[in-house]
Amino acid sequence: MRSFVNLARSEVRLFFRERQAVFWTFLYPMLMIWLFGVIFGKQKLGGVSYAGMYVPSWIGVSVLTIALYTIGTTLTAYRERGILKRYQATPVRPWTVLGAHVVYGVLVLVLTAAVMIAEGRLLFGLTMPKSVGGVLFATLLSVFALFPFGLLLASLAKNVRSAAALSALVLNIMLLFSGATFPLAIFPAFLRSLAHWLPLYYVIDLLRTAWNQKGFAGSWSDVWVLLAIGVVSIALASRTFRWQDA
Amino acid sequence: MTAAIVVKDLRKRYKDREAVRGVSFEVAQGEIFGIVGPNGAGKTTTLEMMEGLRRRDGGSVQVLGMDPAREPYRVRERIGVQFQMTAIQEKMRVDEALALFASFYRRRGDVAKLIAMLGLQPYLGQSFKNLSGGWQQRVSLALAAVHDPEIIFLDEPSTGLDPAARRELWEMIRGLREQGKTIVLTTHYMEEAEQLCDRVAMFREGEVALLDQPKRLVARMAGWDYIDFVSDDASLADIERLPCVQRAVETDGCIRVHGDDVQQVALAVLVLADSRGWRIRNLRFAAGTLDDLFVLLAGGEASGEARREGSAAKGEGSVAMGEGSGVV
Ligand SMILES: Nc1ncnc2c1ncn2[C@@H]1O[C@H](COP(=O)(O)OP(=O)(O)O)[C@@H](O)[C@H]1O
Ligand SMILES: [Mg+2]
Repeated sequence: MRSFVNLARSEVRLFFRERQAVFWTFLYPMLMIWLFGVIFGKQKLGGVSYAGMYVPSWIGVSVLTIALYTIGTTLTAYRERGILKRYQATPVRPWTVLGAHVVYGVLVLVLTAAVMIAEGRLLFGLTMPKSVGGVLFATLLSVFALFPFGLLLASLAKNVRSAAALSALVLNIMLLFSGATFPLAIFPAFLRSLAHWLPLYYVIDLLRTAWNQKGFAGSWSDVWVLLAIGVVSIALASRTFRWQDA
Repeated sequence: MTAAIVVKDLRKRYKDREAVRGVSFEVAQGEIFGIVGPNGAGKTTTLEMMEGLRRRDGGSVQVLGMDPAREPYRVRERIGVQFQMTAIQEKMRVDEALALFASFYRRRGDVAKLIAMLGLQPYLGQSFKNLSGGWQQRVSLALAAVHDPEIIFLDEPSTGLDPAARRELWEMIRGLREQGKTIVLTTHYMEEAEQLCDRVAMFREGEVALLDQPKRLVARMAGWDYIDFVSDDASLADIERLPCVQRAVETDGCIRVHGDDVQQVALAVLVLADSRGWRIRNLRFAAGTLDDLFVLLAGGEASGEARREGSAAKGEGSVAMGEGSGVV
């Protein structure tokens, strides 16, 4: 327990020493919410305000970026630099190291979400969710699905550079085609069906529902899909994840 | 002696090659045990099988009475490890790293004393990447010792250090031993093995070629005096034909001649040179060192065979390589 807390704290501390990481994690979604707000800010989208659509959506995107970079790419770098192997030479259990990273990722997520919600309220009149519990549940489920997914991608990458490249590819595809940024309605049918192959689509759909409705009516399928993505990713990642190179 | 580590017939095979081929040795409690050998000899592989970090393919390992493959966590609680490549996060500060690693262990060491001993006090607030190689090495030594382990494994601790830093490192390793710790280290500096280790296992191609106290290994070489000199026109074959000469070798224009009575050898060589009109420069007398032994071992079978033949032909017994070394 002591090592768990210390590892998580140490990661958070190191995170805040990386200026670039901090910039991208916090400022990037804020800029995007502002930018899209300039474009769509005055519109009602499917009966919901701009902020009600886009703030939950960017919380979902943050879950993904944290999964890909804060967790996945970082752990690949740690593997490459022998940091994980150094931990392996101590009594620390592998699950303690991974668990600490998850906690650290969740903490970064909470901070990002807080910043975005504040921005949504100040600039775009975001109304608070009808059920806070529903939003928390949807967020945790997204974490459960995407963090192991990020770990899985990282474990497939040979080195940090390929992990970063893979992450960028996955992130950009999902940003464009999962409805996180551009409304799916503007796409032709075949691109819209592509969305159903992207985990982020389910995250976004569920978070938007949770924020703007009471209950998940119409979105229960998202719940099951995300559960499945989490379970499958954990099963696969526990086979492919390596603590040291070769 | 009470054995801290017992290794028997240890084996490891990677896809296409056998990296460790039946290695056996014991390390006594409180001993500084050295594993020397050229790159690729299997030192790191052997070390990491003792640490329970690599699976072995055969043989047995007992560390403090436990099998590291069976009870890795119990073993790691009581050993400290320093890898060939120091690895902590670049922006982690020294004091943070010490606190973090200390929290991994149930056992608590006297960290303040360790900091004093390694002279880390002025560097506690520095981040790892801002330290020089020597100080990074000290930090990683501190991390290996932070929980007051009974055994410390050091993989090439002095590689890349300048001579002064290397000597300081030796002092610190001796200091750790004085606290009763057992030290197992690998190196390819013979001087280090000679200065620091109580016993040395010389690895060659995944096997223990020799195992003894350094001074006894040097003593094996003591009968092995030689002269060497530089000459462009001397004939190796003619020199080897001299009755007092056991063997002559040439490397980069420097000729080295072995014989039991080097004074006789020198005289005979000079007389021969005079009669043939060879020019001889930089003639000097030298005694066999651990370095010579290492070069001989690293050279592999070829030079070992040649030596044995040489001494057999002359009927003189001196150093018999690869024999009678065995496991203590
Ligand atoms: N993970 C590995 N996979 C394949 N071959 C390896 C691996 N690690 C080491 N080897 C090979 O095994 C041999 C022994 O390596 P090593 O134990 O690192 O030697 P040393 O530490 O003495 O330099 C070398 O030939 C090396 O190339
Ligand atoms: Mg090595």
